[in-house]
Amino acid sequence: MVQFLVDLLLRAGDIALVAVALSAGYSLVKFPNIAIVQYATIGPFLAYLIARSGIPFALAVAAACLFVGVLAVALNLLVFERLLKSGSAIAMIGSLAVGMLFTATLLVTAGPDTRHFDFAITALFDVFGSNVTLTQMISLAMSLTAFILLALLLFCTDIGRCMRATAANPNLARATGIDARLVVRVIIFLSGMLAALGGTGIAIKSELNILLGPDLMLPVFAAAILGGLGNPIGAIFGALVISFAETLAAAINFGPLVGQSFLFIPVNYIAAASFLILVVALLFRPYGLFVNEVKRV
Amino acid sequence: MFEFSLHVATIAALYGLLALSLNLQTGFAGLVNFGQIALFGCGTYGAALAFNNQFGPVVGLLLGLVLVSLVALFFARLGRSLGSDYWGIATLAIGQILLTIATNETWLTGGAQGISGLPQLFTGSTRLQGHLILFSVTLALLAATWWLFHRLTQSKFGLSLRLMREEPQFAASLGYDLDGLRRSAMLVAAVPAALSGFLFAHYMTFVGPDQLFSTETFVVWTMVVIGGLGSHAGVVVGAILTQMLFAAVPFAKDFFALPSEYVAAMRLTLIGGGLLGFLLLRPQGLIPEKVGSIRG
Amino acid sequence: MRAALLLATSLLTAVPAAAQTTIGAIIPLSGASATQGEDQRRGIEIAVEEVNAAGGVLGKPLKVIVEDSGGRPPSALDAAKKLVAVDKVPAVIGEYSSGITLPMAQYLMQEGKIHINAGSSSNKVRQIGPTSFSVIGLEAVSSRFSAVDALAMGWKKVVVIGPNNAYGHGMSEGFKEEFEKIGGSVASTLLYTEGQTSYRRELQQAAQFKPDAFIYSAYGKDAALINRESFELSVNRTPWYAIYFTMCTADSKPEFVTGQYGMDLNFIGANGKGYEEAYRKKYGMGFKTSFSGYGYDAVKVFAAAANKAGSAEPEAVKAALMEVGKSYEGATGTIAFDADRQRMLQPYLKLRRGAEGMEQR
Repeated sequence: MVQFLVDLLLRAGDIALVAVALSAGYSLVKFPNIAIVQYATIGPFLAYLIARSGIPFALAVAAACLFVGVLAVALNLLVFERLLKSGSAIAMIGSLAVGMLFTATLLVTAGPDTRHFDFAITALFDVFGSNVTLTQMISLAMSLTAFILLALLLFCTDIGRCMRATAANPNLARATGIDARLVVRVIIFLSGMLAALGGTGIAIKSELNILLGPDLMLPVFAAAILGGLGNPIGAIFGALVISFAETLAAAINFGPLVGQSFLFIPVNYIAAASFLILVVALLFRPYGLFVNEVKRV
Repeated sequence: MFEFSLHVATIAALYGLLALSLNLQTGFAGLVNFGQIALFGCGTYGAALAFNNQFGPVVGLLLGLVLVSLVALFFARLGRSLGSDYWGIATLAIGQILLTIATNETWLTGGAQGISGLPQLFTGSTRLQGHLILFSVTLALLAATWWLFHRLTQSKFGLSLRLMREEPQFAASLGYDLDGLRRSAMLVAAVPAALSGFLFAHYMTFVGPDQLFSTETFVVWTMVVIGGLGSHAGVVVGAILTQMLFAAVPFAKDFFALPSEYVAAMRLTLIGGGLLGFLLLRPQGLIPEKVGSIRG
Repeated sequence: MRAALLLATSLLTAVPAAAQTTIGAIIPLSGASATQGEDQRRGIEIAVEEVNAAGGVLGKPLKVIVEDSGGRPPSALDAAKKLVAVDKVPAVIGEYSSGITLPMAQYLMQEGKIHINAGSSSNKVRQIGPTSFSVIGLEAVSSRFSAVDALAMGWKKVVVIGPNNAYGHGMSEGFKEEFEKIGGSVASTLLYTEGQTSYRRELQQAAQFKPDAFIYSAYGKDAALINRESFELSVNRTPWYAIYFTMCTADSKPEFVTGQYGMDLNFIGANGKGYEEAYRKKYGMGFKTSFSGYGYDAVKVFAAAANKAGSAEPEAVKAALMEVGKSYEGATGTIAFDADRQRMLQPYLKLRRGAEGMEQR
């Protein structure tokens, strides 16, 4: 049982941050930005590069996240806002093209090989009978801290209120004197940082490879949609639901039911389990689990 | 060179069918389909399953059409309750589920290793002649689909589709049967996608799950967006241009004579950069939808 | 626009220089299999340098036009058509994934061009046709070796782990068939979905079967992650046996894979040793995957056959390949083709990963 919870949390932590980043960006700039998953690739690569020059790890991560945040704002200004004028489909294909350019850049600079952050292998923590490593704890702690800070920012500060107001009704927000452009920039900056941090969290406890981001795309989109696009806190729950479905599919032994010792759902269907839960959930909650709006196709 | 051009043209025409299909769904009915490749896959696996069970291509074609109708109806059913972005992701998810089944149910689909050895559909006196016939057939299909879709979208049906896209609540209040509209639109759009898959399967002589990755859906989307969402002529031109861009990349690479370690980066840069530049310069697509162009 | 037209026409009219012998290669340099594709490319690069240093092919320098398939079947076919129809190459090396190799090779066969398979081990490659050669031993060859080796280690009940793609399917089915034929039993086969952020769940499920050993074959970041997590979860207290050992452990920290058993290509044989040194010198590291050796051998075998035939024409090269392929000393061991032009024998090494590195068993 503990094992189950640990696995669930670790997997949810992997996809939640990037899903939150996607959803936060979507709340103000209304298109699914595929380049987000590339931010999650560039973040850890930069952190890796900076950390190698002798700068402490935490500082390197912070610098990398800042850089990606600025990059996200710049891209939004130069590319996506212009494309969005012609429709969200155009902007989405544009973000796909930007993603290709990122992959090309990474192929030339970093190559397709796998690297890892050089942390010493530490003793394992025994969390009620389940093995957990230090890097896994750090990764999870990073995600949790980011969530708490984001929630505080959104719900307890003026700028957070402005953001939520702009997301809910941009025209009304502008009429009340909110600088919508500034709010958009802050949110896009944050979403870039969150994606970079999310990618780094995955990379420190596993491997660093240019496919890190692209491989995240489907689960991250599923989580963000399930939580209700544009609802960053919902995305966290979306990630939990997806991870729950996957982990359950891997853990249940149907063997005793049919008189055998083992009968699992084949692991090659685990990824499909999360998609299945997505479709089923959408059938019952058409706008994601946490949105109460009503509209139709 | 002629043979190479013929190949590029054939693939472009096959993509043209897929683009017309996606355009009818997204450009007219407002159905943002991210599972388009699943419709194509019904065509390829229809052909492959028939071949694997010693049936001829006619059975394969029919099987493909049956499969695609089922998937299209299921997509339409989902659309009853879902908002467009959500529906899009749901179709993507279904595409992934079908892909997983195709990869893992080896007894039925040949599994990850696919089904190989499908026969060419047309055998002229030379192989080139066979390819020419195939190309002509594909081209004729493309023209027929184009004409049909053009007529369809100019008709009252097309008008109601656009009304459903723009003002669903209003359309419903006028008494339009949105479920029925969505169902018909999906069914009509699914047929050319399956035909494209069927022809592709016999042209490649191989069917496997690698052909159905979700990234392929984005290739079709790229074509539609480049050409101009909502314009039949536009999306066909978009398909041709995009396929030409893909085909030209190896030549451009030879032209710049880069060392081979940069080949992949070069391919991605040319495609990604070409797309992005195009979108920034012509964000409405090549042939934008004409507003108020309906006569019927 | 005019500039674009000029560029286009100059591209279309560019003819391959007659001053060199040109062949093609189509490999996945981007996409999910880029690690193996890049390694195939390295092997090809080293082979071309060596061939040209030794006088080239038919007195002319050899050139290999490398095309990126991106892991997409349509792109691979585009590239194949371009190589055949425009560059007029007599032979094409490639691809990696059998889902791409099969249609591509079928086309080459129809065109009467030589296809040299340097990466796909699916048994279906055998059926392509009379101009298709494999310098890589197909599944049947490697599975038999590893099944016999595993049973000799005293393992009766094993769990097989591999990626959920054409390679993993072929590997796991091949191993199961051979292992059960000689009396072993496969308790479970776990085909993991590639590109996940963690394989803890799969590994814990595998451990529940309490096998005598885990037989696995994996590559890239997935392999590194599986080795890391099997260490972290202490699943590696049960023996692990790697099919293509260097490929499975290339990206892993040594601590995670010490103590594993496995089999791999014979890269310490007479030619293999020299190739390994050349690779290390050029790229500053050991083999990334096992596939560079096949890329290398594919080029070398073609060069040897063309020189023997005194011509680069496909028909002549084909006959010469059968001749050369009676027994050719390649970097991956002796290459001998069977009647279906597939490599029938492949010497493998039995290895164990010690604290210092690979040790022969």
